[in-house]
Amino acid sequence: MNLPPLLSLFSEALFDTDRDRALQLVRDAIHQGAAAEELIFEVVIPALEKCVTDLEECEELNLAQHFLTSQIAADVTEELLPRFRVAPETVGRVVIGSPHGDLHTLGKRIVVGCLRPRMIECADLGVNVSAERFVEEAENRRASVIAISAMMVHTARSEKGCLKVRDILRERGLEDRIKVIIGGAPFRFDDQLHQRVGADGWAPDGIQAVKAISRLIREARPW
Amino acid sequence: MVTGMQRLSAAFDGAAVDRIPVFCNLLDQGAGELNLRLEEYYSHGERVAEAQIRMREKYGHDNVWCLFYVGKEAEFLGCRKILFAENGPPNVEDWVINSLEDIPRLEIPEDVSAHPAFEETLKCLSILRREIGGKYPICAYITASMALPALLMGMERWMDLLFLGPAGAREELLSRCHEFFVKELTAYREAGADVLIYSNPFGSTDIVPMGFFQECSLPWIEKDIRAAGPAGVVYYGGTARINPVMATVFERTGIKGYYMGPFDRVREGKEILAGRALACATINDIALIDWSPEEIRMQVRKIIQAGLPGGKFLFGTCVMPLDIPEPNIRAMLEAAFEFGSLEGGNPS
Ligand code: B12
Repeated sequence: MNLPPLLSLFSEALFDTDRDRALQLVRDAIHQGAAAEELIFEVVIPALEKCVTDLEECEELNLAQHFLTSQIAADVTEELLPRFRVAPETVGRVVIGSPHGDLHTLGKRIVVGCLRPRMIECADLGVNVSAERFVEEAENRRASVIAISAMMVHTARSEKGCLKVRDILRERGLEDRIKVIIGGAPFRFDDQLHQRVGADGWAPDGIQAVKAISRLIREARPW
Repeated sequence: MVTGMQRLSAAFDGAAVDRIPVFCNLLDQGAGELNLRLEEYYSHGERVAEAQIRMREKYGHDNVWCLFYVGKEAEFLGCRKILFAENGPPNVEDWVINSLEDIPRLEIPEDVSAHPAFEETLKCLSILRREIGGKYPICAYITASMALPALLMGMERWMDLLFLGPAGAREELLSRCHEFFVKELTAYREAGADVLIYSNPFGSTDIVPMGFFQECSLPWIEKDIRAAGPAGVVYYGGTARINPVMATVFERTGIKGYYMGPFDRVREGKEILAGRALACATINDIALIDWSPEEIRMQVRKIIQAGLPGGKFLFGTCVMPLDIPEPNIRAMLEAAFEFGSLEGGNPS
């Protein structure tokens, strides 16, 4: 299968946020004998990254396009996964949620959408998640990363949020196995803030989030 | 003594008085001023009015607010639960729209002013008017038709509906929100609000692509402003950047004030407006929590020096988080008063 032309057609569909066209392109490719694996790793992921990075470089990354591209990439991945010849190997596990007092969901949906094609398993714990629950779920699922999406200053900086997750991990001696990443609007307004709340990393958008999370997965001591 | 209202009027007209108008948007801080928990504080309009007046006297900025919290608009439309925090703004907890079937059921109050949820706001507004009316501009906050659904169903589900459809349900919801918007803005204006902040993140190209802005956001903005009239209205992207759209919005709606985001380039914004409308530049008030007073002074100076030439300029904050220490608020305001001084020269 000649993938480069498909890559550029698929990138165009993503850029235009045309979900139907994107799905049709991969369906046609499968029909012509392409392997699901190569479609994900050589088309879907590069196209998603290129689209977001290009927009970012010309300062034109907007929320809607980022949301839609990550959603389309996640949907296409969902359709391709059952067609893998060998069950896809999980690269790592993440638990994600909005912290205590925070009911916002969009940020984590975008991040999850970007993680999906990367074969990073992601358990969404929902909103208003207590620090205790973040750690318990991470431990039970043997996750390497706790990802926290905080949209407001008081939930980002709260004693009951990321700071407490850090305390519990320290008390239980889990800091080498479980890394903490945080993101959301306040962190985009203050790029030093992640350090003050005791996170191991942060990211301003979904694509950078995947990069940072992949790095943290590598840094964490395996379960 | 020159009043805030005189400063604001002069800035709109491109005239000079003692200094530029300085807006400092303190909301939740009022509860601390009266030693109350946020929930108690926001349950009575007279408390909000009293704290707004006190805080203005204490810090010396030019505006007051009759906004309690943005989620109040959802209460007008049937929201039954607001999540109050100890140390941050209240948030909508009970979504009014949970499925597409809820859209036709959405009831727009016949008379917004008579609605029980508006009662305390109106009480606050009438006290502000009585005590400082005409001297200090009273600001009201009105969410645009296209942003209001985010308060009724959450940002995630609204993005799904807005961009992935179904189109019929989306148009119906937008029409209802528009109907509410016009009634709400009119009610605020009649009750004496001077500055009507038209809040529309979907009118920013940080949130939507330019093509979508032109095809969808702009027609709804035009519809909103045509129906309600541009008098007193100030365009605001919810702190997202608005420089790329200001010229178009101005030409199509006649709105005379633009409240930029902290990441908008101030000089560029002034050039775009070219003296046709008031440019309101903002400081990044999330960073204000941890900046040192010296750093704050430098930041304020940078913003005002970029925006002052040519006049028609206002310095302001976004929505000040509670964590900002008082000395930092004072440092910001002192710097704004000093660098925004017009004594000894006309800005134009
Ligand atoms: C749209 C918007 C609104 C809308 C919709 C609100 C809603 N229901 O969601 C309206 C106009 C109604 C509104 C109202 C309010 N808002 Co508002 N709003 C915004 C705005 C413009 C965009 C927020 C948004 O939805 N972004 C979409 C998400 C997906 O973006 P994001 O969180 O940044 O996520 C990206 C990255 O951060 C990252 N990311 C996200 N999560 C994670 C997690 C991890 C682990 C990683 C690695 C990365 C990551 O990837 C994402 C994709 O790129 C921002 C300002 C801005 N420019 O960001 C203010 C903002 C979030 N709002 C703010 C506030 C205060 C409010 C109010 C509380 C005001 C009030 N006093 O009432 C109300 C609350 C309303 C309610 N819910 O009851 C503040 C919050 C900061 C603070 N002061 O605490 C902001 C930052 C504005 C500001 N600078 O003052 N708002």
